[in-house]
Amino acid sequence: MWLLSFIPDSFLHLAVLAILSAGAVLYTIGLFINFIPPLYPYKEITRIIGTALIVAGVYFYGSYNTEMSWRKREEELQAQVKQAEQKSKDANAKVKVKIVKQLKIVHDKQVVVQQIIQRDAAKIDAICKLDPSVIKDLNEAAKNPLGDSK
Amino acid sequence: MKKLLIFAILVTLVGCKTAPVAPKFPDVPNELTKSCPDLTLIDESVTKLSDVMTVVSKNYNQYYECKVQIDNWIEWYNMQRDINNKIGK
Repeated sequence: MWLLSFIPDSFLHLAVLAILSAGAVLYTIGLFINFIPPLYPYKEITRIIGTALIVAGVYFYGSYNTEMSWRKREEELQAQVKQAEQKSKDANAKVKVKIVKQLKIVHDKQVVVQQIIQRDAAKIDAICKLDPSVIKDLNEAAKNPLGDSK
Repeated sequence: MKKLLIFAILVTLVGCKTAPVAPKFPDVPNELTKSCPDLTLIDESVTKLSDVMTVVSKNYNQYYECKVQIDNWIEWYNMQRDINNKIGK
């Protein structure tokens, strides 16, 4: 019911009630035509049109209610989506702050470790002599087995 | 008759409506989109253990930086999934 979305709710409601009322009025007129002999030939057609309008009015009333319930559901969902988007933003901000904080801790720890190594370098190097195979083996272990990681 | 048929199809088509509510998939924070670099290799001319330890400890640090990224990726995904799963319920 895409076209209905362009029509204001109040207008739709009014149109449905107008069709329903017109049907009821016509049908009632059809009943009273019995008492006005000159209009007697129009009795049947008035009743038929009145009945058709009542049926159409009831149908449109049902459609109107369905349309309104969908619009209400749509509004609810839009509100939920808006709320979810805000929550997403908050969650992103929370994660960002956490990452920055954690990376700083990791970095600070690294700085301290590097300082310790530099402080102890003379002591470490005095008692240990490296065989060239150590570097080769360590580098081999550090190489990405999957090749280029990108 | 042909025109009537085209008109009937057009009328039917205007009844179609796409879902008016489409939640946008949230953007991931930039901090999580960086890929983890390869480990640093030791210069083969190095002979001191302290130099080796420097590179190795930098690699350890790199691992922890990547761990921060991955752990936060998982947390981010779980949070966003929970938020999005609540829509429409």
